[in-house]
Amino acid sequence: MSLGEPLVIEREVKPLDFLSAGETASEFKETLKSLGISAELCRKTSIVTYEAEMNIVIHGGGGRIAMKMEKDRITIVASDEGPGIENVELAMQEGYSTAPDSIREMGFGAGMGLPNIRKYSDELDIDTEPGKGTTLRAVIFLNAGEA
Amino acid sequence: MGHGIQINENACRGCVNCIKSCPTEAMRVIHGKVRILEERCIGCGECIRSCRHRALSLQENDWDKVSSIKPMTVAVDPALCTQFPWSPNPAVLEDALRSMAFEPIFGECAMAYDLAAMATARTIGDGSSVKFPVISTYCPAVVRIVQIKFQELLPHLAPVESPLETCIDLWRARHNKHDVPASLVVGCPARVAMVEDPVGRDASSVDYVVSTARMTREILSRSHGIKETAERKARDSRWLNWALLGGETRHVSQFSERPLKTLAVSGMRNVIAFLQDIELRRMQGLDFVELRACDLGCIGGISNAESRFLSRIKIENYGYSPALTEEDRKNLESLYDADIWKLQEEIKSIEQVPLGRDMAKAMEKLEELHAVYAELPHLDCGTCGRPSCRIMAEDIVRGEGSVDDCIFRLREKIASLSDEIHGLSRRLVHTMTREDQDENK
Repeated sequence: MSLGEPLVIEREVKPLDFLSAGETASEFKETLKSLGISAELCRKTSIVTYEAEMNIVIHGGGGRIAMKMEKDRITIVASDEGPGIENVELAMQEGYSTAPDSIREMGFGAGMGLPNIRKYSDELDIDTEPGKGTTLRAVIFLNAGEA
Repeated sequence: MGHGIQINENACRGCVNCIKSCPTEAMRVIHGKVRILEERCIGCGECIRSCRHRALSLQENDWDKVSSIKPMTVAVDPALCTQFPWSPNPAVLEDALRSMAFEPIFGECAMAYDLAAMATARTIGDGSSVKFPVISTYCPAVVRIVQIKFQELLPHLAPVESPLETCIDLWRARHNKHDVPASLVVGCPARVAMVEDPVGRDASSVDYVVSTARMTREILSRSHGIKETAERKARDSRWLNWALLGGETRHVSQFSERPLKTLAVSGMRNVIAFLQDIELRRMQGLDFVELRACDLGCIGGISNAESRFLSRIKIENYGYSPALTEEDRKNLESLYDADIWKLQEEIKSIEQVPLGRDMAKAMEKLEELHAVYAELPHLDCGTCGRPSCRIMAEDIVRGEGSVDDCIFRLREKIASLSDEIHGLSRRLVHTMTREDQDENK
């Protein structure tokens, strides 16, 4: 394999499967560790994965989450065919949430998902269309400052 | 690296109960015998619990040797106090140990626990040297799992020495008995590992390790005459409460200048889930967490003789004595200033060996790993001697195993081989024609 070809691990996310978010986050973390990637970057990836997957579980009605590993970066791609995000800028604000009460009662939906993803990633790109779904791409660079 | 677990190869049947119970996937069965991967083992003792053949036990020093050395000082895990049919009053145990010609450490022990609680409270109050929530370092299995699996949480660990080490240092200094060897009575492999391979200091103050089970038996077999008399003064029980989940938290809170938000969690499964929550930054607003590998705390340790439920009732009935005299406080202040409660060194991470020597090589190996994994049956049956197909694939790409170790893959291989042999046996040699063969019949 040449390093031009990224290595991708993809997992299906089922709607309302709250257990799997933690599992995927820890699986991705362990995978990165086996590549010799620093604990700090493993944790960042873990948080981004967890929050992105939670968004799919809560809002997206299921979808897919993938981790792409390249020689200089890790990319988390989370995609769903859910309702999309009406106002991305608003969703980026801490504490803003459209999660239904049933989800908030479970302790989720505190409106920290996207803000956390932005905080722990170096690049964030959200492609969304109301009614069509959302694809989120978060990049974490292996050498900080390269961004 | 020490892990405090003794393997009795003659008793090991090569079953897979222990490898399936290990929370860090540190066990393998190779050539019919169990092996422990030292760099992954946290000494929690789950494997000892799961072994039905008694092939695993606590690694301790020989009792005849320990009991023959005189003078010998003894420090005990507070859980030892709850192992007997009498009150958990530490003073009773102290007398029992004295009658066996040991020099028990009790006064200094109570002091060391007070000091650890005070130092932890002040570390939290000051807040400059740790990240929140502050994680207790009392349970050595928890410290080890942070070092191995949650390296990002190392700055959360309270830089406070185990009071079971501090009390020995204190005793030796106060009695000017620096040459007297010390034994520690412990209830779990992680504490043995703490002695063999100390974390945050270069050498342990402990010279010999005795299991709680062994010490309990030795005391019970000599127990006639041990009675709790009215004149025996009840000893401080703050440190005794550390044996029960929540006891440390209570003690630390007692020394805190502000009300603390705390949580006490026990059992490996809970500890791991909780550490993950901290790692994902989902535990905001918490000051202090007490994590214990064993159910209900140290009274649930693998080497305890008494039921952990009874132990809990005993501690709860005995109560908690918050009162500290002026003199106690003065003492503590001077010990605090002397920094003897502090870990001498930073707790370092225990790095796992990456798949390859550099990232490119490691990624190649990871791809290979995925390819190998895809061909495995994903039953996680353990028959190959590994806890899961995922670990099997990892071992194979690391060169520590072969696909033929998989019974299902081996069976497929035999099936295809036998097909091939069958096909070969039907093939004719060139000198024989079809008719010749028919005549031969």
